Amino acid sequence: MKITRYWPVLLPLALGLTAGLVLNLTQMSNPVLYLRADLGTVLFLAGLAFSTILSLILLVRRQLHQIEETITHEAAQDRRRFINLLDHELKNPLTAIMAGLANLSADQHSPALTSVETQVQRLSRLVADLRKLSDLETRPLELSRVDLAEMLQDLQQLARDRAGADRTIILSLPQAPWPLPEIITDRDLLFLAIHNVIDNAVKFTSPGDTIEIRASEDGRTITLEVADTGPGIPPEEVNQVWGELYRGQNARGIPGSGLGLALVQGILKRLDGRASIRSQTGKGTVISLNIPAGGVVTEQ
Amino acid sequence: MQPPSYKVLLVDDEDAILENLRAFLERSGFQVFTAPNGHQALNAIRQSRPDVVIMDVLMPVLDGREALRQLRAEANWTPVILLTQIGESTERAMALEEGADDYLNKPFNPHELVARIKAVLRRARRDAPPLSAAWQLHAGELTLDRRGKRVHLGGQLLTLTPKAFALLEYLITHPDEIISRERLLDAVWGWEYPTGTRAVDTRIAELRAALGDDAADPDYIETLPGQGYRFLPEVRAAG
Repeated sequence: MKITRYWPVLLPLALGLTAGLVLNLTQMSNPVLYLRADLGTVLFLAGLAFSTILSLILLVRRQLHQIEETITHEAAQDRRRFINLLDHELKNPLTAIMAGLANLSADQHSPALTSVETQVQRLSRLVADLRKLSDLETRPLELSRVDLAEMLQDLQQLARDRAGADRTIILSLPQAPWPLPEIITDRDLLFLAIHNVIDNAVKFTSPGDTIEIRASEDGRTITLEVADTGPGIPPEEVNQVWGELYRGQNARGIPGSGLGLALVQGILKRLDGRASIRSQTGKGTVISLNIPAGGVVTEQ
Repeated sequence: MQPPSYKVLLVDDEDAILENLRAFLERSGFQVFTAPNGHQALNAIRQSRPDVVIMDVLMPVLDGREALRQLRAEANWTPVILLTQIGESTERAMALEEGADDYLNKPFNPHELVARIKAVLRRARRDAPPLSAAWQLHAGELTLDRRGKRVHLGGQLLTLTPKAFALLEYLITHPDEIISRERLLDAVWGWEYPTGTRAVDTRIAELRAALGDDAADPDYIETLPGQGYRFLPEVRAAG
């Protein structure tokens, strides 16, 4: 650990202690000193001492923070490596299974076989999501001018097709004094991110619920929100939803890979944006995506 | 059974894949033999002259890409379909640059593989390089320069986004073939997109606008409702 670099700080203390002990324990002369100083000097020395202590504290704190960051970064990298490996190691067996199943289903039809086929499709989807997640890190961004309003209308239609008529899906876009500006971004990635958020809302709501897709801008940031009147997420889980392969309590029995929102967060990071969530159990959930109105800036 | 039965060489280092795919391909009417790596595949190609080779990329001894490079260096134009491992666009681009006729991302639906094999066999010209091995392609007024990633229409340089270029490149190397949107997504985007058809349609619209092509009466890209797209003009390879 880097903290060992600061051991020398303790050296004067150790020396003083040793000298004191030696003087006290041996018969050497140990005279009593009466120090005299004016108030100005005392104040100056006290200030110096506090400053030294304070700078030491700050230094140690910064060091600890750096260590913490390194650990988090390494953990994230380890997780990515693991996911890449998983993706890789799943592909070959899945290829063999899909070929084997195609052989079997050419000869016979049975509910058991259909069930296995469904499960294999689920696994393929998981592999596809894992691939997206690892692809996201290295894939070069393809920036172009994007009409957000048009994209959101497409997404609303897609959600309606998927959810059917039993959920109300509202899209609210600013009109006055001006509509949403066009932005420069990676269309496919942003589409995927918003799609995943809406898809999540569709998945976790029931017939009769409402999903609201809304957009606003304040000149610097464009905020896209997907709000639903679903069951909400318990407070202790709400910040874990961005984790890879995370599946909440409410997600039991709902198909999904647990990678949808991890992808959203990964995409928003690449697009210089931010994703956040608010939720209340029994009331519903709002996921907000903030993207710079000027579009992506950090890309090469 | 379809006489005459085509000879397929299947190359992969995983026995389970070889066995299951062999059974499926035989069932589909092909005559199948196998090899476990690129080195043995090259020997098998020289000896038994298969009609088409299905080859994995990541293999021990000699990987699929290197085997393909050696094969093409011998001016052997046996059609090759590469089974790419990584969803990255670079890997797909490389597959085409090395002279593969087509590629599929693992895992894939075996029916899709059979469709690919049939399409490749239809296109194949045994003694000439495949379109996908050519650096320059001509179709009507259109010239596509793959090395420089440039497209000219009647001598005018077109400005295309990288994705639209990749899409055009795939279409032009698979002329007169009905290509589903799903296939285009897998081949050009490399992701199984939830947005499905729309991402493709947007780019096709972009291409059509650049080519000045009328969707109702197309010269270049035809829409087949419910099926996909087809690149219409005859394509010639040069360089």
